Amino acid sequence: MRVLRYVGKRLIFIVPQLFGIILVSFFLVKLIPGDPAVLMLGPFATEEQLEKLRAGMGLQGTVLDQFWIYLTNLVQGDLGTSWQTTQPVLLDLFQRFPATLELITLALLLALVIGIPLGVAAAYFKRSIIKKFSDYYGLLAGALPDFWLGLVLIFFFYTMLDWVPAPLGRLDIALIPPPTVTNFLLIDSVIAGDWQALWSALGRLILPVVTLGVINAGPILKMTQSTMERMLESDFIRYAETCGLPRSVVIRRALRNSLPSIVTIISVLYGFLIGGAVLVEIVFSWGGAGQYAVQGVLNADINPVLGFVLFSAIFSLVIYLIVDLIYFAIDPRIRS
Amino acid sequence: MNPQPAQSEALRGGEQPVSAGQVLRIHGLSVSYPVYGQEPVKAIRDLDLGVRPGEILGLVGESGSGKTTLARAIMGLLARPGRIDGGAVNFDGRDMRALSEEALRAIRGRDIAMIIPNPRGELDPLLTVGRQIAAVARAHLNITRAKAEELALEMLRAVQIPDPKRRFNAYPHELSGGMAQRVVIAMSLVCSPKFIISDDATSGLDVTVQAQVLDLLRALVRDKRTAMMFITRDIGITAHFCDRVAVIYAGEIVELAPTGRFFENPMHPYSVMLLAAFAHNPKLREKWHKPLASLIRSQGKACEYATRCVHVEPQCNATHPELRELEPGHFVRCFVPVLRPA
Repeated sequence: MRVLRYVGKRLIFIVPQLFGIILVSFFLVKLIPGDPAVLMLGPFATEEQLEKLRAGMGLQGTVLDQFWIYLTNLVQGDLGTSWQTTQPVLLDLFQRFPATLELITLALLLALVIGIPLGVAAAYFKRSIIKKFSDYYGLLAGALPDFWLGLVLIFFFYTMLDWVPAPLGRLDIALIPPPTVTNFLLIDSVIAGDWQALWSALGRLILPVVTLGVINAGPILKMTQSTMERMLESDFIRYAETCGLPRSVVIRRALRNSLPSIVTIISVLYGFLIGGAVLVEIVFSWGGAGQYAVQGVLNADINPVLGFVLFSAIFSLVIYLIVDLIYFAIDPRIRS
Repeated sequence: MNPQPAQSEALRGGEQPVSAGQVLRIHGLSVSYPVYGQEPVKAIRDLDLGVRPGEILGLVGESGSGKTTLARAIMGLLARPGRIDGGAVNFDGRDMRALSEEALRAIRGRDIAMIIPNPRGELDPLLTVGRQIAAVARAHLNITRAKAEELALEMLRAVQIPDPKRRFNAYPHELSGGMAQRVVIAMSLVCSPKFIISDDATSGLDVTVQAQVLDLLRALVRDKRTAMMFITRDIGITAHFCDRVAVIYAGEIVELAPTGRFFENPMHPYSVMLLAAFAHNPKLREKWHKPLASLIRSQGKACEYATRCVHVEPQCNATHPELRELEPGHFVRCFVPVLRPA
């Protein structure tokens, strides 16, 4: 019951939070110089044409007027159109957001699979080779840019060994994409029973997922290791040792007590990667949300940028809500 | 193992520090902590001590005297970078120092249990206390979960926790300090160990709660003829609670005697000091401003206590005194023991 009330309260707060985010990002984006009308119509457009276009795009009047127009459209579910793609932003984002989500979700799963066991082992076996290895791993993962690793992987596994498909998007160009349901290619191809598409999509996911997963395992590893080290030194773990509990039980208890920190770092990475994966998206021609937003910024295409910010904000808020629910589930001290 | 001879020996009052019939026998144990760029600190030096089944041995000493180090060394749980330099720890016929980590794990919690201070911090905050007690039982007794939980509930009843069924499902943060201490006692007794080390276990409790917990602990230990080493800083507790008292100073036993004799005639100047409420005597107090750890150690060439002693004589600074039996079962490490006029 307490949990439901808590969730309800949090959901109510999401609306003002989103308003604040839109407010700030709208005015910040407006600071970027560049007139989309000029960019769209080219150098030979007359002032009359420009004015008419601006009016059509909700760009006339003061910034406050424009904000008001944007808001009223937003409430009706209209995020405006992108002049680059000439499509409604909502539609564009529904195509691109799942592409990014699919990528970063799998990448984070891989990062977890690498980071948590390695962090636990490094914390438990303090004087072992694993500890050394994880120290260097953390250092390298923190120092190497992800796009560089992506390029190196492409060079080795595509150019030299030819083990993986070309880094050109999410699906083989020769294939017809499965009918759109969720826009998550893996899910859609399973729904359609299109195993060829599924296979192709999986193959193309390998390298970008490995790139992002390997790099982002670094912070997860570090957080797991340091929290586990602290927990293993704690009084209750030392007492568990004194009670002669099996090693597996001791490690499980320490890990359970470390989970809140680990979940926190995962949620931060998840929110960050929506935009943070953009360089890797570019390297693999992924056509994801990050790429879309960056194109918008570069070409004074405001609506995609705002739409992206809005989507990311909602996503992050939902993630944080889930994280809080996980805390609830883990820690009885928060529950009572 | 037949405790009869040991007991009669104890009744005669002539029990040696280490003798046959004791469930725990420590021989010449030395533990040191290396210090970077200096001589290692000898936390325990050449220590002999034993505990009979059914006996409660009080171990009294100030912070830094080596009490906890001794307890952890017995269990094979010495914290890094401490290490055992020599000696033997014999528990129930087994050489503890020769056992593997896995074998030690099987002994800890089952045959040797430990009760420690700050009970709420010793319990896993994310698990109910019932499950934590059951986990210890399951780790050692090869029983089903249901059986272990039944046993845990029984233990909660045995330590006289009110409403044990409800407390079984309580989390540590929902318990008072005294209640948590009872849970820890239940946990340490669940496998009916042969030997219990209580390390300053009641120091954090109110005086009344402390008395209740001690009475309970004694009843449970007596009932099962469990041996117990009761480590404390409060010498007053030992008078009512222990069968013998050992006073430890700078890693050495400086006095060891049956409780009655000890309180009748404490012989070591340090013991007298502990008993004399020295804080009220400015003459005695002036040598106590420095903590024990900061005092210069004699490295075995003088009496360790000479730096603080009010009775120092030339030989105290020249020779290291041995533990001598001055009356049956009463051992003192001092050249000039305090003797009551006959």
